[in-house]
Amino acid sequence: MTANLWHVRILLAAIAFVATAPALAQQKAFADVGKQPDITVLIGSTPWYPAFEKVVGLYEQQTGNHVKLDVTPFGNILEKARNAVRTGQSPYDLMTLDTQWTIEFYEGGFVSPLADVDPAFAMPKEVFHYGDSGYWNAQKRWRTADGGKLMAYTVLGNVQLLYYRDDVLKQAGLAVPKTWSDVLASCTKLAKPPSSYGFVARGEKGNGIRYDWQSVMLAEGVQVVKDPEAGDFTVTINSPQAKKALDLYVDLLKRCGPPNYGSLGQGDVIQLLATGKAALGDVVTAAFASFEDPNKSAVVGKLQTAPLPAGAGGAHGAVIGNWNAVIPKNASDAQKKAALAFSRWFLTFGAQRAFAEAGGIPNRSDVYTSDLAKNPKYRWMPAYLETQKFARQELGYAEGAQVEQILGLRLNQALIGEMSSGKALNTAGQEIEALFKKNGRRTGVLPPLPE
Amino acid sequence: MLLNRSFRYWSLLPALLLFAALTLYPLLNLVRMSVSTVAFANGAETWTFTPLRNFAALLEDDVVRPAVVNTLVFVGVSVAIEMFLGTALAIAVAGLSRAKRLVRTVAILPILVPPVAIGSMWKLMYNYDFGIFNQAFVALGAMPVNWLGSTSVALWSVIAVDVWHWVPFVFLILFAAVEGISPDLFEAAHVDGATRRQTLRFVVLPLLRPAIVVAFLFRAILAFKVFDEVFLLTAGGPGTSTELVNLHLYKVFFEQNRLGYGAVLSLAVIAAIVAFLLVSRRVALAVASQK
Repeated sequence: MTANLWHVRILLAAIAFVATAPALAQQKAFADVGKQPDITVLIGSTPWYPAFEKVVGLYEQQTGNHVKLDVTPFGNILEKARNAVRTGQSPYDLMTLDTQWTIEFYEGGFVSPLADVDPAFAMPKEVFHYGDSGYWNAQKRWRTADGGKLMAYTVLGNVQLLYYRDDVLKQAGLAVPKTWSDVLASCTKLAKPPSSYGFVARGEKGNGIRYDWQSVMLAEGVQVVKDPEAGDFTVTINSPQAKKALDLYVDLLKRCGPPNYGSLGQGDVIQLLATGKAALGDVVTAAFASFEDPNKSAVVGKLQTAPLPAGAGGAHGAVIGNWNAVIPKNASDAQKKAALAFSRWFLTFGAQRAFAEAGGIPNRSDVYTSDLAKNPKYRWMPAYLETQKFARQELGYAEGAQVEQILGLRLNQALIGEMSSGKALNTAGQEIEALFKKNGRRTGVLPPLPE
Repeated sequence: MLLNRSFRYWSLLPALLLFAALTLYPLLNLVRMSVSTVAFANGAETWTFTPLRNFAALLEDDVVRPAVVNTLVFVGVSVAIEMFLGTALAIAVAGLSRAKRLVRTVAILPILVPPVAIGSMWKLMYNYDFGIFNQAFVALGAMPVNWLGSTSVALWSVIAVDVWHWVPFVFLILFAAVEGISPDLFEAAHVDGATRRQTLRFVVLPLLRPAIVVAFLFRAILAFKVFDEVFLLTAGGPGTSTELVNLHLYKVFFEQNRLGYGAVLSLAVIAAIVAFLLVSRRVALAVASQK
């Protein structure tokens, strides 16, 4: 009788375990952060903001803690962040900053290393490093985990992908382009302006052309500066390979894009793909969700993604454009801890999966190998995961914003025909060298290209 | 009597102190910043006295020259067109016998729209593939125009938006002035046998002169300060074709975080506007004293 009772007990326990296992697994997928004070987060009104807002809602629901979101247009975030850290006490406990801006905040000593807030804090090993943009090595003045302190984590890691219309390529008997030269060959055949364009990417002056062109530049093995991490700021932007990359990019936009290629911004590129006017495009991963929204897109289910094509030597290049979350140094200790508690929760598998389901780009590798990746709704995931292998940070030094302005203007001038590509790169090279020289960097520039 | 006068001077002191705090201090700080290099380290700012560095940057900056030329073209052309259209509209509407109030209300609507909304709205209308202008051109069998992507057209597209935005402002000032002219003067001109054209030339326009000067000064100063529309429409491109001084100043100050050089550019803009005001004041006095 006693033995029978034991059997029944074991059976009941097994049934109870099977019944509660999914719930337990779900609980483990999120961090238990306990009761925390309310926090305020500075965040941009970006295309991925709705996904972040949903995940924050989930955090509030699970923990009972409150998060106030200060949603700010892109153009004002930097000023709000600067004002916050330069006053007595920051009105924000967590600030999301574009990767390019983080250097100013790290170098200026305006943000708290995460280990200073909680020495036990460690970044989960599944979280992507995004070119070490969250680390700061003050001695080297460089973002690297090698000797650097962890200052931030990536909330959203954007990289460019090649978007293509599978149906259009098949109809034309073309394969998915593997190299940038393939893109040029295919898009020339597909372009039937003004009704449709073969390829679209940003040509507008400033960040747009600088960012998009640099993927082609990196694929050709070109660097703007020789070895900034080692302190060698010799400018190498006016190399023959860089000229080749620029000539190719100009060709791509002029021969395959719309006539307003010189002012084409991200909104225009997304619009041309979403309306079905463009067959191929170089766009950020974050745009994918809008292409699948029937209210915003005429090509739902028709756009596929691939890693950006390779250069002539077979190497790939992509620039990381991530948003990093930092904790201001002048927030109170209690608020810093509450911000880090939210961060710990946000970096869990459960939160990142929820972020992906809401239309965001998760920062953990295990989400990309989960069942989500098999769902056609997330068919961008394999291309994104592949891109992580070669994507890198660019202009990661204090002069980055000025170098971007220089490149953004000179590349645009080459594109619209105000300058030859050789002259544009020579001019940019000289200007960047002068800038480094003025700041006391070890610098130089390659001999000028024929103009 | 002496005490009374003394009290009057002392009573100005609070206002003077407020003026000094709100205007002079920021201006002096700007001057100090213009001769300094401002850097940030360990969460604090450091100012280093480098008197020539920022002024040398002004001479080396390749973008300043096209920005100044574009700004002068922008101010000259947009204000001239706005003054002409605003004056013509004011006179035409004042001559209406019916629906005058309705026309006035409708005409001033563009001033009420925020510049950010104007920039976004016109950017959509100028869109090469989907914009209303090019859709209309194509429907009429004409070629679409590259409104914002062509270096020879972009600045004029921006000027057109500014004209649309600010003609109502000139109209409003001059309409009030036209309405203020005594009907007796029109009657006297009519009795003297003046034609409508002669009445306009010898009665209306001379009487509108002070209002025209005021409208011109306001518009010119505001045109010098234009930013939002250009920023949203073209961000200064393509190339440097729509780069204006204020836009460049914004990029230097806020995007590049070069506070010292940004201060130099700010002082240059302030100096240009003050010089313009001084010259304009002399011209305005001369115009006003004409009989």
